[in-house]
Amino acid sequence: MSTQTKEPKEVRGPRPYWNPYLAGTLLGLTLLATFLVAGQGLGGSSMPKRAITVASQKVAPAWTAAHPVMGGYVANGQNPLHNWIVVEVVGVFLGGFIGAVSAGRFKVGVEKGPRISVRGRLKFAFWGGTIMGFAASLSRGCTSGQALSGGATLALGSWVYMMMVFAGGYAVAYFLRRQWI
Amino acid sequence: MTHAIFPLAFANDDIRLLTAIVLGFLFGFSLERGGFGNARKLAAQFYLYDMAVFKVMFTAIIVALVGLFTLANLGWVDLDMLYINPTFMWAQVVGGFLLGIGFLMSGLCPGTSVVSSASGRWDGFMAFLGITFGALVFMLAVQWVPGLEALYHAGSMGTVLLSDVLHVSPLVVALAVVVMAALGFIGAEKVEHIFQRKYGMVELTRPQRPTGKFVLVGAVALVAIVGLGLPTGPTTLPPARVASLAPLALAQDIIEGRPGLLILDLRSGAAADGGRIPHAYPATDPETASRLLASVPEDGTVVLVDDDGKDVTVPPAWPRTLHYAYLEKGFQGWKQDVLTPASPGSTLEEKQWAAWHDQITAFFTGTAVAASDVPPPPPLRAGAKKKKKKGSGC
Repeated sequence: MSTQTKEPKEVRGPRPYWNPYLAGTLLGLTLLATFLVAGQGLGGSSMPKRAITVASQKVAPAWTAAHPVMGGYVANGQNPLHNWIVVEVVGVFLGGFIGAVSAGRFKVGVEKGPRISVRGRLKFAFWGGTIMGFAASLSRGCTSGQALSGGATLALGSWVYMMMVFAGGYAVAYFLRRQWI
Repeated sequence: MTHAIFPLAFANDDIRLLTAIVLGFLFGFSLERGGFGNARKLAAQFYLYDMAVFKVMFTAIIVALVGLFTLANLGWVDLDMLYINPTFMWAQVVGGFLLGIGFLMSGLCPGTSVVSSASGRWDGFMAFLGITFGALVFMLAVQWVPGLEALYHAGSMGTVLLSDVLHVSPLVVALAVVVMAALGFIGAEKVEHIFQRKYGMVELTRPQRPTGKFVLVGAVALVAIVGLGLPTGPTTLPPARVASLAPLALAQDIIEGRPGLLILDLRSGAAADGGRIPHAYPATDPETASRLLASVPEDGTVVLVDDDGKDVTVPPAWPRTLHYAYLEKGFQGWKQDVLTPASPGSTLEEKQWAAWHDQITAFFTGTAVAASDVPPPPPLRAGAKKKKKKGSGC
């Protein structure tokens, strides 16, 4: 192998992922610490919702204030982005970046199954994301805020939610298999 | 639970927000290490050849669940101060199913799309863009698609825990979750092997080492010890916090038309004959109250009015996402402070205050007051006027 053309760390390849039970334990301790420190769980989908609220406030302030969802984010003159989850998501980005770089996994590219084009994969990613953005707004949270955080507090609705996420995924897995396997 | 140390109280909100960077970093880091920045690995959960999603998620739930309820049982955590997702059953059923479909299409969920983007993957970035677009679609649709707003509120049950439904201690449920997850882990390992052979796909995690099983056995043992050693009485949620609100502050809120404000009049018919506060809804039976509460946006404020403002409590079934306040001195206080003109003072400040007060009184009693010769003072709500804070750098 010609080491001249490649960087040394590229030759070694990315390090393997952690044992899932170990990664899960670190994640669980992080979640526990979040409950103890912040008095709430972790989240993932608040940031897009709140970013939209900021934009909407600029365009139509009165409409935003009276909106059944966004009205709550701007009530009492609050800044929608002055929010724990929004800042946390910035931390998630940094943590993900440092994690990927330190394991030699940072790579500009696209993850996909062998039978789909890059363009097709990106389309699926976008429209799948659109469905998720809609769904997470409807259910007041996503896999992080509902299934993981709500699940750990034993919230009834969050457990139902978690089961429904798995049900939704398995329901369409067969029809969309060309994308992944 | 008055001696609870957790959740921590912070001197101000900015310090609290600083913790979000650190904990978010750990969140993103552990997701990345678990392989959740890789859409293929996440999607593999649904093709059963790599079940890291299930394993990581349930390990995390067990650790946090056992830790949280053990500390709560020891009195270190005040669960009432903790945000627990309220149940909106139908919104969660439909939203969960849709999110599952979107999850399979994009191979990512909202949190992991951020990690995937941070790992340099374009599909993660596209998923994140899609999520933002989807949230925008919802915000528009909820205003114009008939029934969607009703679905958003459908099945509202307030804060309900699995342990409330099953009528057992949360620790018993925690124990059951640990046992079920342990069985699930064993099953997942077997299923993975079968489907790896079927599809000829490689597990995207390195082969199991015994450490994982030791962690698991340790966790089970810990829960067993804790579960057996601690008293397990019936659990009820402690009462929701109720702040106090001065009659004049409420009067100003009504005049300004503060959004997300609901005033509930708890007095029974006979007592309410003496009049009601404008915009107050009578709520003497639970059904009327819960219907009215469903109309309050998240983070809204519910003001409770009784006759004298003593012993105002929030029923356990009411959603904990809302802020509750009782009117100081109840309707009597309203009559005294708002409907009665102030006595004119001697100093300029007192005169200004009296003029302001009389304007409020006039607003609610319908009596005109002569134009004041002193300039109107700034709003007087002590501490209620929040300064707008700068955005937090994103």
